[in-house]
Amino acid sequence: MTLFHVTAKDLKLHARDARFLATLALFSLSLVLILSVAFGPLFQDPAREASATLWAALFFAGVLGLTRALDMESESGGGEALRLTGADPFAIYGGKTIANFVLMAALFALVLPCAAVFFDVGNLAVLPALAGVAALALVGYAAWGTLFAALARGLKARELLLSVLLFPTLIPLWIGAVKLTHSLWADGTIEAVRDWVKIMVVMDVLGLALAAWLYEVIQEAEE
Amino acid sequence: MNSRIPAWWSTGRRVLWAAALAMIAASFWMVFARAPVEVQMGAVQKIVYVHVPSAIATLLAFGLTFAASIAFLATRSAIWDSIAAASCEVGMVFATIVLVSGPLWARSAWNTWWTWEPRLTTFLILWLLYGGYHVVRASISSGAKRTVSSVLGIVLFVNLPIVWKSVQWWRGSLHPQAVTMDQDMRRVLLFSMAAWMVFFVAAFQERLRLEALREASEMES
Repeated sequence: MTLFHVTAKDLKLHARDARFLATLALFSLSLVLILSVAFGPLFQDPAREASATLWAALFFAGVLGLTRALDMESESGGGEALRLTGADPFAIYGGKTIANFVLMAALFALVLPCAAVFFDVGNLAVLPALAGVAALALVGYAAWGTLFAALARGLKARELLLSVLLFPTLIPLWIGAVKLTHSLWADGTIEAVRDWVKIMVVMDVLGLALAAWLYEVIQEAEE
Repeated sequence: MNSRIPAWWSTGRRVLWAAALAMIAASFWMVFARAPVEVQMGAVQKIVYVHVPSAIATLLAFGLTFAASIAFLATRSAIWDSIAAASCEVGMVFATIVLVSGPLWARSAWNTWWTWEPRLTTFLILWLLYGGYHVVRASISSGAKRTVSSVLGIVLFVNLPIVWKSVQWWRGSLHPQAVTMDQDMRRVLLFSMAAWMVFFVAAFQERLRLEALREASEMES
C-alpha cells in the first residue's frame, strides 16, 4: 500500500502545480518544433529524424520533471518525513518511480502526435508496438532517474548530479528507443533491431535491482 | 611526517616509484629497439604498447573503485572510501590516455580521428560518467560525501561490462575481438603491461597517501 500512497502523493503534488505542467508541455513541444525546423523543411530520413527528436525532447523534458519533484519534496521536507514513517524504502522508491513513469507517459502521449505530424511519419498500425517501446524506455528512465534523483536529494549539486550522470547512463536506453522507433516508422517492424529490446530490458532490470539494493543507503545519506 | 602515515609507506613509495619509472623507461626502449615494426601501419602501431596497458589499468582502477565502494557501505570504514576515490582518480588519468592514444591510432588504421564505433562510444560514455563522479564528489562538502560517492562507485560500474563486451554485442565494431601477434611483439606488450601496472600501483598509493594526509590535516584543524 505504501507504494500506491507515495505514487498518489507525488502525482497529487504534480497535479496541483498546473503552471509547471504547462511549462513542461510547452518546453517539450518547443524542442520538437526546433528540431523539426533544424532538420526540415525537406527531411532526408523523416523516420530517423522524427524518432531522434521524439526521444531527445522526452529525455530533456524528463530531467525537468525529476528536478521539480525533488524541489517540491525538499521545500516541504517530505523526503525526511517519508523516511521517518519507517516505510519499506523500496516501496517508497517504487511509488516515486511509478509517479515519474506516469508523468513521462503523459508527456509521451503529448509529444508523439506532434512529432508524427511535424515529420509526417504517422502510422496508426504501429501504435501498439510503439507503446511497448515507450513502456520499455520510460520504465528505465523512471527507474534510473528516480535512483539518481534520490541520490541528489538534499545535495546542493542536485541539478549537476542529474545532468552529468543521468544522461550518459541512459545512453543505451536512448539509442535503443530511437532505433526501435525508427524501425517501426520506417519498416513497420522491429525485426532488424530486435537486439535492442534485450539491452533495454537489461537496463530496466538493472536500474530497479540497483535501487532495491542501494535505495535504503541513499535515503540515509544526508547533507 | 604525519602520524597517520606509517614510516614503511614513506620508504616503500620511493622504491615503488623508482621501479615504476625504470620499468616504463625499459618498456619504451623495448618498444622502439626490440619490437618489430608492423608491416602495414609502420611505427604508428607502437601506440598499442601504451594504449592496451592503459585500457587494462582503467578497467582495473574502476573495478577497484567498485569493490572499495561496496566495502565502504558494508563496513563504513573511511579507508575504503579513500581507496575508491584514489583509484577512480588514477583510473581517469589512464582513461584519458586511452582516449588520446586511440584517435592517434585510428587516424592511421581507420583513416579517421573518431568514428561512432561501439567500443569508442561506450568508452567515451565511461569517461564522462567517471568524470561526473569526481565533479559530484568535489561538490559535496558534508558527511553525505562518502555514501553518495560509494553508491556512484557501484552504479557507474554497470558500464564496465558494456565497454568490455561492446565489440561482441554490437555489429560494425572496428576493434578486434582477438589479436594474433608476432612473438617479439607479444613479449614487449606483456612487459609494457607489467610496467604500466607498477606505474598504476605507484600513482594509486601516492593519491591514497595524499588523501590520508588531507584527512589528517582536516582532523587537526
